[in-house]
Amino acid sequence: MLETTDVTAAARPRLTLHRPPRGTAVRAAVTAVLLLFVLLALPQLLSLYYVDAMTQVAVYAVVSLGLGVLVGRVGLVSLGQIAVLAVGAWVAARLLFATAQPYPLVLLESGVITMGAGTIIGLPALRLRGLYLALITLMLAGAFSIVLATTNFPNGGHGFLGYNGKLLQIPPIRRPSFAATDPAYFRFAVVVAIIMFALVFVHIRTRPGRAWAAIRQSEPAALAAGINATLYKLWAFALASFVTGVAGGVYAGAAHYLYSYDFPAQNSIILLAVVLMGGAYNMWGAVVAGFLSQFLPALLNNWGVSNDWLTILFGIGVVQVLTTAPRGLADQFPKDMARLGRLIVRLIRRPAPAAAGGEAS
Amino acid sequence: MPSWQEFQPFIVTGLALGGVYALSGVGLVVLYQATGVVYLAFGAVGAMGALITFSLIAAGMPHWLAWLVCLAFGGAVTLAYGMVFGPLLARRDALVKATATLGLLLVLFGAMDLLWTTSGGEVRSLTLPTDSGGFSLGHVQVTWTQVLGLGVGVLIAGATAAFLRYTKLGTAMRAMANDREITATLGVPVRRVEAAAWLGCGVLAGVAGLLLADMVALDATTLTFLVISSLAAALIARLRSIAFTFVAAIVIGLVQNMLVPIPAVSSYNDMTPFVLAAVALLVLARRQVMTRSREET
Repeated sequence: MLETTDVTAAARPRLTLHRPPRGTAVRAAVTAVLLLFVLLALPQLLSLYYVDAMTQVAVYAVVSLGLGVLVGRVGLVSLGQIAVLAVGAWVAARLLFATAQPYPLVLLESGVITMGAGTIIGLPALRLRGLYLALITLMLAGAFSIVLATTNFPNGGHGFLGYNGKLLQIPPIRRPSFAATDPAYFRFAVVVAIIMFALVFVHIRTRPGRAWAAIRQSEPAALAAGINATLYKLWAFALASFVTGVAGGVYAGAAHYLYSYDFPAQNSIILLAVVLMGGAYNMWGAVVAGFLSQFLPALLNNWGVSNDWLTILFGIGVVQVLTTAPRGLADQFPKDMARLGRLIVRLIRRPAPAAAGGEAS
Repeated sequence: MPSWQEFQPFIVTGLALGGVYALSGVGLVVLYQATGVVYLAFGAVGAMGALITFSLIAAGMPHWLAWLVCLAFGGAVTLAYGMVFGPLLARRDALVKATATLGLLLVLFGAMDLLWTTSGGEVRSLTLPTDSGGFSLGHVQVTWTQVLGLGVGVLIAGATAAFLRYTKLGTAMRAMANDREITATLGVPVRRVEAAAWLGCGVLAGVAGLLLADMVALDATTLTFLVISSLAAALIARLRSIAFTFVAAIVIGLVQNMLVPIPAVSSYNDMTPFVLAAVALLVLARRQVMTRSREET
């Protein structure tokens, strides 16, 4: 719904059928090499400060992925995803303090519980579309942040809330035994992120993805084509909440201590901005969004530049994306590079003017 | 349960806050009617105006001039945004238009945090001269600022309703709410009408910023997100009726403040606008009709 020129988006799946499989193989190989580099070499190359920042990138890439599914695939804009992340972190922290279950199991549980919460919120919200849905998620996130500020995060206390304001020594939230150090935890976060990306990839490439594409183009037309719009919209909510809940679980272990002011309402707005800037229609966009929202602040901090400049940049970026480049950086950048490449090639070859005119179209 | 006596001062503050919500809500509704934009940067514009006023007064500028600067700043920023991005986004759907104003919100928010850093722990405040005077009503002390809050709210709501009903420009705005293209075809200078709406909304943002900075707090985050409360009132009125916006704003202000003396819920009282708006949206959305043409507007 965020873009009006959907013709190319509709034509794209057909094009991929005719494309020789070599391109896909090359792309898969590049992705695999990149992932191996990130998993094996990157923690050795970076200082602990940047390893921590990269862990946050992995977490927020997954959060952005969840929002990307809603915005880019189904056309539902949510302004409350940071609240969903906070729910995931809360549930994971509570389970980690209360039980001795293995960490991956806790992640799964926090994902499922967050999914339940997200679906319950999504159910009535399905009546609303477009603008009203975005605004109601803003309202709910605002209400939730007030509840969170009052109840606080679990800190090893008892009872349902698990918060004890009188504790003098707050125990840290534990990490998995196999990923206690920061570099190991970074690898763990990346593996979790890969699994989440794979999960979403499978969804996009199969029946739900096609249904979402139809709903995004036109909900009445999708209904007329026999697509259960309610089911698939709810499915998108559930999937987005699940991956965000899992990301919240990863966040809890990475941070060790959770505070309600780590999840301010304006971060949901910044998240939407970076997702739109990164490109909501592309899974690489989620990675770009993770970098924009977590790595750049760490970098600027290190350089002694205020993060407020980044907020201003994101503000300009979101307006720019909406007015001129609705597909975001992940789509725009390779195109610009390709255009630059063609320009260079043309300058080198200096073809006859007639041929150049034909090529330019 | 507290006694009636304990509630009384909160009724006064509630009415005053409701008045300011009402004037903000009216500004949002008028702008939405004329341009189709839900102006989410409303609070940020007001907050920055109030902070500028604060700095100007600290630098020794006469108070009345500093207040005028606040209103002028609100009007100028809003008008500039509307003139540059309004036409660019005019054909896009309401969601895109609203999201783009979030960009302005972020820019202003970053700028405020940069220029008026809060990490030092210094508390800023903006006091209007109306704070010092007042009268007592029964047992309750009422300040002139509170009277001003409610008064301006009533005045703006009434004046706007009359303006939309009886003036040529107001009629043009109502026509644009129905159909921008047809209105343009009928010879209405669409751009100029839109500019008037942007300017009016921006000046109201400045007024609301000043009053809220005095009544609530002079803090960028608080003021930026207080717009959500006014937006709640506008949403309850489905971004259409001025009268409903006014009533909803007063109710939100009252409920929010009357929950304060009740110990069980007092720490949750700020949730009032969110919860009321969420419930109202869900109830009102029941009768939504899905058609192709409505989807594309």
